[in-house]
Amino acid sequence: MRLFRALLGVSVLSVSLIACGSDDDAVDAPSTEAPTSEAPSTEAPSTEAPVAGVLNVPADYATIQEAVDAAAEGDLILIAPGTYKEAVQVTTDNIVIRGLDRNTVIMDGNFELDNGFRVVGASGVAIENMTAMNYTKNGFFWTGSSSYRGSYLTAWRNGDYGIYAFDSVGGLLEYSYAAGSPDAGFYIGQCFPCDSVIRNVIAEHNGLGYSGTNSGGNLVIVNSVFRNNRAGIVPNSGSYELCYPQRKTTIVGNLVYSNNQPDTPAIDVAILAMGNGILNAGGVQNIIERNRVWDHDKTGIGLVPFLEEDANDAIPGRDTWETDCATQKQQMPVIPDGPLLWDSQDNEVRGNVLENNRRADIAVGSAGSNLWELGNCFAGNTFTTSAPLDLEALAPCGSPLSETTGDWLAGDLNVITWLVDAETAPPSVDWKTATLPELPQLENMPDAATAPAVPANATPPTIDLAAIVVPDKID
Amino acid sequence: MTTPIRRATSALLVGSAFVVLATSCAPDPNDVRGAEHQHMSMPVDSAAVMGAPDRPIAGPQGAVGQFVVECPYSHALPDDPIVYPGEPGASHMHVFFGNVAVNADSRPEYLLGQDTTCEQRADTASYWAPALYHDDEMLIPEKSVAYYRAGLDVDPTRVVAFPFGLYMIAGDAMAVEPQPTSVVAWSCGSGAMRSETPPACPDKRGLRLDVTFPDCWDGEHLDVAGHREHMRYSTAGKCPSSHPVHVPQLIFSVAYSFSGDPTGLKLASGGVLTGHADFVNSWDQGKLEDEVRLCLHRDVVCGVTSGRVSG
Repeated sequence: MRLFRALLGVSVLSVSLIACGSDDDAVDAPSTEAPTSEAPSTEAPSTEAPVAGVLNVPADYATIQEAVDAAAEGDLILIAPGTYKEAVQVTTDNIVIRGLDRNTVIMDGNFELDNGFRVVGASGVAIENMTAMNYTKNGFFWTGSSSYRGSYLTAWRNGDYGIYAFDSVGGLLEYSYAAGSPDAGFYIGQCFPCDSVIRNVIAEHNGLGYSGTNSGGNLVIVNSVFRNNRAGIVPNSGSYELCYPQRKTTIVGNLVYSNNQPDTPAIDVAILAMGNGILNAGGVQNIIERNRVWDHDKTGIGLVPFLEEDANDAIPGRDTWETDCATQKQQMPVIPDGPLLWDSQDNEVRGNVLENNRRADIAVGSAGSNLWELGNCFAGNTFTTSAPLDLEALAPCGSPLSETTGDWLAGDLNVITWLVDAETAPPSVDWKTATLPELPQLENMPDAATAPAVPANATPPTIDLAAIVVPDKID
Repeated sequence: MTTPIRRATSALLVGSAFVVLATSCAPDPNDVRGAEHQHMSMPVDSAAVMGAPDRPIAGPQGAVGQFVVECPYSHALPDDPIVYPGEPGASHMHVFFGNVAVNADSRPEYLLGQDTTCEQRADTASYWAPALYHDDEMLIPEKSVAYYRAGLDVDPTRVVAFPFGLYMIAGDAMAVEPQPTSVVAWSCGSGAMRSETPPACPDKRGLRLDVTFPDCWDGEHLDVAGHREHMRYSTAGKCPSSHPVHVPQLIFSVAYSFSGDPTGLKLASGGVLTGHADFVNSWDQGKLEDEVRLCLHRDVVCGVTSGRVSG
């Protein structure tokens, strides 16, 4: 919980550090006291001579793009405080791109540029300690990467996602913040196994706090805060992109609250999902454990089907759930002639603490499938309400479910009515003008000027899940 | 932005020179369209001339490299700067996407630098399709989606950007029989079903007209009489020797909010079988070349579009 306090307790010191491009910037230029092997140790400031392996913007290169294009593997790009109206493309492996101050190194898309950073098929690229705002697509975007890392990033008011990883594996997103996106603040999609970690992040005032379409397999979301979005954490399945169904995501130790926010930008799915804390929409084999979830109009933790009307392939059977993404990409789709219904199956909901979730603290629903045949289980949660009623007795973990364990229809979630609710839900607000919390001043990366460049590692850190306890409330 | 413009202009001039060589009656060397009014006397069976993709291109995104541009509806005019240049009002009604300045008089060099409806602001190309009517009421489309990929089974590293100023038409505005769904099809939302005639779409997954453009260029002409002969579709991943240059395969989808019973729908060009679309490459050429290099050559999914709707 230390991070949360640090993030919440950040001072307003940084407000005074908006010296964009002033002469003072030079004194912020780093020395590389602990260089990478490519960067010989030196204490010479960048104003005298470029340091091998360290590319300073704007001292050595006028734009970030010029520095990125000049960088070789292992290099560190250091960006001085200022506002940069760039959409940077990255294609070089194993470089680190770092702002010297998270809150005053600002990428500004000015509502015209598409992505603050787009890492295209490059691996090992780490982006650290800066802010991206006002991009028509995404603040930070990795695609086709076999390792990536985003640390101490702030994404604020972007037109699609805040921090977005697609068709990429080996990821670590940490100590970051995303607000004001109509889709998700944080997104990892189309990967299996993903081998990725999201930890210590905050998502608020987005359509969805986290969305992961068709992602999973050693994908861990821990120790993070999802609040005041339309919906909080939403793993989901769909055939419009590959590697379905969504599988094997582990969601542990998060604070998820008040995701009923009516005035955010929102895609249609976010409006449909509104008022839910953790909503598993057609995902399978996920583990949702030891989260604290409160204050939602619908469910705290809900396992529901996802209806996909414009389908692109048939739903793969249970016997294919171990098939990796690369293999599935080679398979020809079978175009179905009707809509798909992605059931949530074989998910485990354990040990969460829930309160004041108005429809139900914990819930499982279907649109015709027999609930006892879906294999979802609930155990050890602290809760008051469930749908159906007495859910932990109906669907305990560790033993086969049966129609005869109780009355599966009493208190049915009746999830079909959500389609109707969406018709009268507060409509999306234009992402460009939606009211957001003020751009927060957030914790900086330690020693940004001097820390060595560490490119992203394909093996993200191992999270000691057993050591994580249900977090305390922070509000 | 100056470098791409300079590059684009020189590409245009080179292209114009080719056209001048090929069509000696061009009155103005900067008018790439000079000699092409013969279309009225020579309707073209587009499938017979240009071929068709090996199969309909549909299904989940994410398997091959692509870049995608969504462009909200811009305007409607009874103009066609490819088929009826300089003749405002001479065409059936078209709906335009992307470049906001397009009319019957538009030339690529004029369009460059004009505003665009596209989310990708560097996409100042012009895209248009015949207007769709329901019981004689014109339906205003929501947007278009342009998918740029290597053609089916084409080595993506061989693909080069469209030359600046290229004119293309795909589909047959005079068709009386169903066209191959690999070229012209109707669908619902972002679903993969492809139909020769408009299906009954569910609410909020509205009707789309999907037109797939040819992906092989003759390497010389930005346009020709009839507007077809300079382009071909690839077969089995290969372009014919007559049209050896692999260019991106543009799949252009016009999205309507219309759902339900398709009875009473017709296109401005005729019935629902006359689907077609037009493209003028007035992209910021440097940006287009960047997208081809970054997304297609590296075979990376640079963006996806889905059924998700920003409400």
